[in-house]
Amino acid sequence: MHRLTPSVRRLAAAKCSKTKNSKRCFASASPTSWDADENTSSLTKLFNPTDDHAALREMVRTFTEREVEPQALEYNRSETFNSSLFRKFGSENGGLGILGLTAPDDFGGTGLPDATAVSIVHEELSYSDPALCLSYLAHSILLVNNLAVNANEDQLARFMPGICDGSKIGGMCMSEPNAGTDVLGMKSNAVYDSDRDGFILNGTKMWITNGTMTGKETGDLFLVYARTGTEKRSDITQFVVEGGMEGFNVGQKITDKLGMRASPTAELVFENVFLPAKTHVVGDVNGATLCMMRNLEIERVALAAMAVGIARRSLDEMIAYASDRPAFGKSSLFGFGQIQKHISESYAEYMAGKCYLYAMANGLDLSTYGNGLDADGVKLYCATMTKNVADRAIQVMGGYGYCGEYAVERLWRDAKLLEIGGGTNESHHKNMARDLHKLDGNKLE
Amino acid sequence: MKKILVPIKRVIDYAQKIRVDPTKGPQGVQLKNVKMSMNPFCEIAVEEAIQLKEQNKGAEVVAISVGPKQCTETIRTALAMGADRGIHIETKPDVRGDYIDLQPWAIASLLKGIVDKEDAVDLVLLGKQSIDSDCGQTGPLLAGLLNAPQATFAANIERGDDGSFTVERETDTGTETIKLNASGKPAVITCDLRLNTPRYPTMPNIMKAKKKPVETISLEDMVKELGLDLDEVLTPKNEVVEVYEPPPRKEGETVGSIDELIGKLKEKGLVA
Repeated sequence: MHRLTPSVRRLAAAKCSKTKNSKRCFASASPTSWDADENTSSLTKLFNPTDDHAALREMVRTFTEREVEPQALEYNRSETFNSSLFRKFGSENGGLGILGLTAPDDFGGTGLPDATAVSIVHEELSYSDPALCLSYLAHSILLVNNLAVNANEDQLARFMPGICDGSKIGGMCMSEPNAGTDVLGMKSNAVYDSDRDGFILNGTKMWITNGTMTGKETGDLFLVYARTGTEKRSDITQFVVEGGMEGFNVGQKITDKLGMRASPTAELVFENVFLPAKTHVVGDVNGATLCMMRNLEIERVALAAMAVGIARRSLDEMIAYASDRPAFGKSSLFGFGQIQKHISESYAEYMAGKCYLYAMANGLDLSTYGNGLDADGVKLYCATMTKNVADRAIQVMGGYGYCGEYAVERLWRDAKLLEIGGGTNESHHKNMARDLHKLDGNKLE
Repeated sequence: MKKILVPIKRVIDYAQKIRVDPTKGPQGVQLKNVKMSMNPFCEIAVEEAIQLKEQNKGAEVVAISVGPKQCTETIRTALAMGADRGIHIETKPDVRGDYIDLQPWAIASLLKGIVDKEDAVDLVLLGKQSIDSDCGQTGPLLAGLLNAPQATFAANIERGDDGSFTVERETDTGTETIKLNASGKPAVITCDLRLNTPRYPTMPNIMKAKKKPVETISLEDMVKELGLDLDEVLTPKNEVVEVYEPPPRKEGETVGSIDELIGKLKEKGLVA
């Protein structure tokens, strides 16, 4: 094989973990370039339905290995956001062009309205840095995709290029200090001022990913939900709020989070922020529940995909560790029943989640909604699954699993968020039970 | 500048653990269920070709690969990086490219035929060697067959307005600069590690790559078309006699001090 010259060795030394895992440093390592038999292809096809998907996965995986993995531990430690790495997801300067994955290509997006592609990117990024991926999700799904689906042509022309090319980073504001799962209980409100033909927005939003980069200024662009009517609980409107608008400020950066520490979370405050009605209202006034519904499904799929990526990493780590660790005269831990149980149960659960994810994503049409049952279901299942798999990984790895350098403790902490953010387990229970109740006596397929 | 050809090879992925089946003799290196990728040096060659194309508007980059059906994925990656079209010379699935069946002479002969057929080729960029056979011969052989100017182990390439190429070569003793004069023949340059950092195929380019033309032709048909002899091409010039894994690394000895280290080295006759 090729002799390891100093430069190759340096390239290869991007530290991933102490395990013998591969440190691929050259691109084009294709997960589907198997010299395989026919048997392997049905699952591979499920996870990569077309050549484009396989190529996308390969590209993101390589980028993740080379550039995401080496920085993950450090940014987690310092609770800071790697904005320069994030901008490489944009389309400028030879970036990957995945910020606008689902946005129309005539406005700077990639024009791939495809839940499978979304799943692939989130799975691959989360293998190394779920926190960075969470920021990516808040931006590309909660902001970019929502705009792509709900905005008018003028708004697309105005806002889309900046958030696709990597120059502007943002997210979406829905939750409040006192309203999370009870989303329609929100108190932020926007009152119409006919003199100025605009809305005056007041309120506070909480747990906003990408709310601030540094803790001082707000992010660049946000979709904000606020109450605009008092007749019905659902009289909510979606607005665009730009960083720098008067009255729009950071309340506080949320620190000391259990996990997702490299993803910046903030409380955002709106004091008499003026929003012109012609340009900064997305969709219909009082019609935001439609905007919400169109976006929640893909958000849940993306979160489930993050869970699958975390689980895959946890499995790789525990398998590698168990293979190399001798004990009681046996050459590896694979000779011990409890370890066999940890690993095999993790694998089966991971595969069940992954297959549910891709089977669901492959059929999801992003321009419609009404597929909530399985979007809720896949997130509900995968979030808890990955928490358990990460937990078993720590257990298998013992003392090493407990230390930051070995990755799995960070994955375990990051995984917990998935049972809360983007829909608590309890909210999924509520939604799914309602949908199943509606079957009204009809049996499942 | 009109045309740059970049032959690329699909090999076992750089980071894969190679397994050798001792019962299979020279065919021992396991290829089943093993991850394959574009040869790292070929990737560097593709990147260089794209950069030259960007500097010389109107230049066309053609990616060529000899191998089984799955080579289309490798060519696709080159297209997604920015190559304009591909040529896939498809071999039967049991034909091995890792020196067992196809060897540099055969590849160079095929490439020479393609260069002649393509016409108006300014430059052939190759990786300096492939990481499976590690021969480093295809580039030089091709240059010889074409009677073309060549430079190997390029760490920097500049194109002159007169069509010449100035290449900085890295060797074990230092760097030398060579100028390949414009000669009416394509320059043949092989690429080394420090030449560039290959770009990622961006998402929009991955999607555009689907529309780029890839010509697929079987090895047999290509050989016939080029007027070569199939037996000549397929019969390896060198026979692989044995393939084995390197012996496991023996445990070292720990010593307590520098003096002890020197003592041990002297004992083993490793220092005077």
